[in-house]
Amino acid sequence: MALARLSKSITSRFPATSPCLTIWRQTCSYHSYEYVQPPPFPPAESAILSAAISHVPNYGFTSTALNLGARDAGYLEVSTNLLPRGVFDLINYHLVTQRLALKDTVQFPSEGEQGSAKKLGVGAKVRTLTLARLRANQPIIHRWQEALAVMAQPSYVPTSVAELARLADEIWFLAGDVSVDTSWYTKRASLSAIYSATEVFMTQDRSEEFTETEEFLDSRLNEVMKVGGFLGGLGEWLDYTGHSAVNILRSKGVRI
Amino acid sequence: MSLTLFSTTKALRSASRHSQFALFDFLAPSIVTSSQTIRASLFHSTTSPIEPLQNAQTSHPQSLQNEPSRKPLTQSQRDFLDSALRVNQAGELAAVLIYASQTPLVIRSHPHLRPLMQHMYDQEAGHFSTFNQLIAKHRVRPTLMYPVWKAAATALGWGTALMGREAAMACTEAVETEIGGHYNEQVRVLLDWAEKLEGRGEGSEELDGLLKELRRIRDEELEHLDHAVQNDAKSAEPYELLTNVIRGGCRTAIWISEKV
Ligand SMILES: [Fe+2]
Ligand SMILES: [Fe+2]
Repeated sequence: MALARLSKSITSRFPATSPCLTIWRQTCSYHSYEYVQPPPFPPAESAILSAAISHVPNYGFTSTALNLGARDAGYLEVSTNLLPRGVFDLINYHLVTQRLALKDTVQFPSEGEQGSAKKLGVGAKVRTLTLARLRANQPIIHRWQEALAVMAQPSYVPTSVAELARLADEIWFLAGDVSVDTSWYTKRASLSAIYSATEVFMTQDRSEEFTETEEFLDSRLNEVMKVGGFLGGLGEWLDYTGHSAVNILRSKGVRI
Repeated sequence: MSLTLFSTTKALRSASRHSQFALFDFLAPSIVTSSQTIRASLFHSTTSPIEPLQNAQTSHPQSLQNEPSRKPLTQSQRDFLDSALRVNQAGELAAVLIYASQTPLVIRSHPHLRPLMQHMYDQEAGHFSTFNQLIAKHRVRPTLMYPVWKAAATALGWGTALMGREAAMACTEAVETEIGGHYNEQVRVLLDWAEKLEGRGEGSEELDGLLKELRRIRDEELEHLDHAVQNDAKSAEPYELLTNVIRGGCRTAIWISEKV
């Protein structure tokens, strides 16, 4: 009765349509190892967009790049049926393909393999993968601020945020993280925040080889780890206090 | 992608109300509770009670990409598996905690029940770790209600054990009746898929493996149900009220975990 009432009040506070949940639901679904994942874009779209991407360093994320891409792929012009979101489709293509490329660009030595001096921890792997994804922006980094402005348009925000969540999920997965409790969410949320901050930093970074971006990323990661134990520990604190209270009472002979 | 922090503040101010909520809702966990967990996880990576699945992500796909006849699972099939595994993990977490909180109280007044409680606890711990591994491997998100189920299950186990052995057993009976039925439903659906695949000559090891685990676990749950009845679950007072409340709670919890 109490449980049912509690559950009901929870459902009403976290309705299934909550934007937060919508994002995670779009982001994650059962992943099968036996069935071929369908390609992320249909062939025609893929042909135009991959050709258009090569024009981005010169023309930016613009309709010019899109039109040049369409021409390269043998189309007369970009049809709005094929790419209804125009430039945002081009940006999205970059985001999706670079996310999916991560698993091939970064390869960690497998667990049993000898030779690697020390086994990388999950934290180190997360750092490596995040850096690799940032480096994939290098060829277009001088055009990335325009892309960020497009992504921030209200109608594109949900898609952009969901894609960011997918990237964070991909990184934690590839890093071999297997946490399956609430930290699943907090890890993904923190990494999303860190990644986006670093990405913005990188658009203004003029240092050689983006060393400052790397330092920025490291200090963000360190921060998350140092500030910890504050509010983050609330759940664990309650858990601990609850159990120790019971134990103290039991040790005093209270029959509970 | 970099919507969150610097460059887009201005844009956000003018963004529609809905989008702002989407964004802030999404970031909320990172502001409120993330720091401690990520600290723990980044450097020790021991938040999961299970062993890492070695190269789960790299060992299979290559060998299977050579079989172009394989179709992707349909979206509704993936959704079904997604929520089924999420619910099962949450349920087993609850089961572990119910037994863990019942055991000290029950065996204090009934020492002869120690081996039985230990046996059921061990099986639940095994189920929990099975589903932990499955949801990590298949990239299913855990339920957002995780801490709530933890608290509720502990309270339920503790409360029923305080009421006595019969009530504790009635709790097991009620929970296992719901859970057993729930696993049966999943087995039925997966069996149906497996038969259809078989009919097309596309047997699936992944599906067969899942079916085998589900059946084994279901049988163990029904075994717990028998133990509970043998240990006078039916003489709990007030039996009807207690089991109805617990079963209602289980159904609600399942319904929520499927979605949240
Ligand atoms: Fe179980
Ligand atoms: Fe059970």
